[in-house]
Amino acid sequence: MFNKMIGRILKIGTLLSTWGLIFTVLLQIICRFTPFNTPHWTEEASRIFFIYAMSFASGLAMKNEFYVHLDMFYNRLPERIKKILNITVPTMSLILFVVMAIYAIKFVILGIPEKSPSMGFNMGIAFFGMFIMSASISYYLLRKVMKIIKNTRP
Amino acid sequence: MIWILVIVFILGLILRFPIAFALGLACLSYLVVKGVPLIIVPMKMYSGIDVFVLLSVPGFILAGNLMNQGGLTEKIIKFCNHLLGHIRGGLSLVNIGASMLFAGISGTAISDTASMGSIMIPAMKKEGYDTDFSCAVTAASSTIGPIIPPSVPMIIAATLSGLSVGKLFLAGALPGLLLGVGLLFTAYFISKRKKYPKHKRSSLRDVANSFVDTFWSLLMTFIILYGIVGGIFTPTEASIIAVVYALIIGKFVYKKLNLKNTQVIILDSMKTSASLMVLVGFANLFGYILITEQIPQSISNEILGFSDNKYVVLLLINLLLIVVGTFMETIAALLILFPILLKVALAVDVDPIHFAVIAVLNLIIGLTTPPVGVCLFVASSIGKISIGEVSKAGLPFLLVSFLVLILVTLFPWLSLALPNLVID
Repeated sequence: MFNKMIGRILKIGTLLSTWGLIFTVLLQIICRFTPFNTPHWTEEASRIFFIYAMSFASGLAMKNEFYVHLDMFYNRLPERIKKILNITVPTMSLILFVVMAIYAIKFVILGIPEKSPSMGFNMGIAFFGMFIMSASISYYLLRKVMKIIKNTRP
Repeated sequence: MIWILVIVFILGLILRFPIAFALGLACLSYLVVKGVPLIIVPMKMYSGIDVFVLLSVPGFILAGNLMNQGGLTEKIIKFCNHLLGHIRGGLSLVNIGASMLFAGISGTAISDTASMGSIMIPAMKKEGYDTDFSCAVTAASSTIGPIIPPSVPMIIAATLSGLSVGKLFLAGALPGLLLGVGLLFTAYFISKRKKYPKHKRSSLRDVANSFVDTFWSLLMTFIILYGIVGGIFTPTEASIIAVVYALIIGKFVYKKLNLKNTQVIILDSMKTSASLMVLVGFANLFGYILITEQIPQSISNEILGFSDNKYVVLLLINLLLIVVGTFMETIAALLILFPILLKVALAVDVDPIHFAVIAVLNLIIGLTTPPVGVCLFVASSIGKISIGEVSKAGLPFLLVSFLVLILVTLFPWLSLALPNLVID
């Protein structure tokens, strides 16, 4: 239930941010070729939509194994080592993203007093994308680690 | 201290960490040992991704995927078959020709090998072509994609160097065509020697009909290029125009897009882009560490200490990039090495645009270089034969690719003529 909810939030977040990015850039182009003045906020808004689209989608990319790796050395390893690596790699990666998530919160707090140049919103909102990215990747790495532990139990 | 960064990264790659995560872990280890505040991790990730030109990457990937939903691969193959199928070894030529046209839409070599190979390899086998040759042609031809515009590696190179995306797109066009023509001739001579089959010549009407089918997708490449080069759109705007165009064509011309599959395509494209952006973010942190440790300067001094002859330096860089390109994914290798090597190239008066073409060409040729070129793996798994057999059959194509690389390295005008003519 919780897992489905997280997946749904990430999907909706990705879709809304992508459509937001498309419409903002399109508005920028349309205004340039019409008598209307191009709004000053379009570039900044499209950057925010882009950061959020990438942040929401990075967790989904983890879930569906979109991150590329090298197989050439791994394939030559003995089965026993492969089994150890299968749990070590996601665990170490989990540590990386949990550390990043913790420091992303500090980064967000750091951004709160700052104002964005053209739209004037607080930069903590923009920096929050880094928390979404690291937290969502951590979530799917944790699930992977738990699944491997469950499957290796006798 | 820098050795921690290098050792953890290489160990991470060997132990099958995703490349982006290996890069992140290497940086984290370095920062912990060095006692640098870890808030730098999200900070540098953010500043690495928050670059306006990078907004075009998900746009181009999405536009390509939307177009492909309308059966674009089959349509391009059909058109090339009507055009080239009557020549000896027709299907191998179709394979290469279709890759050249598909290049404008896909932009990545691995996706080209997978999508083109899944159709062309079985079709070639069915017509009596040797499986190793079919796989080798597919792998070799897929390297044309990332050099012919629009090209994701070129956008990354532009982001890293501040060069114009439009100029880089144009700079890749002639080398891409040269590579394509070289591969076409190689495939033709092999086919003639092995007496591979040919089809009946198609009527002009068939050629025209199949051209109409592919026209809309080819027009997209033209709009992107004309928009960027003509100064009408920025690369980001061009990518969004391409998305809207692909949505309209997919919905009203090809009639294959609906709300449900459009959402699936958007999600898939964003996942691909996000996996690249995590890599870009960590590479920015990696680059920051390298700069604080003055590594680019040291490498530059080492290479220039060995020789300050332009061609010796370029030869060394070519060798390094080919080896790295064989082992590592193109974008990852570009993100890590391009800023360092650009500094060296500039020191021996190599034009940065010329150098960007050399770097991208090297890395994509690496994808088909034995023993571990990724495209060889993809093609061999589709053809269900060993990578050794594909590598052996691919040697003539690899030699031609190297020849094109040498020409592009020695004659800068091959890369610079078009950008100078059109933009300057």
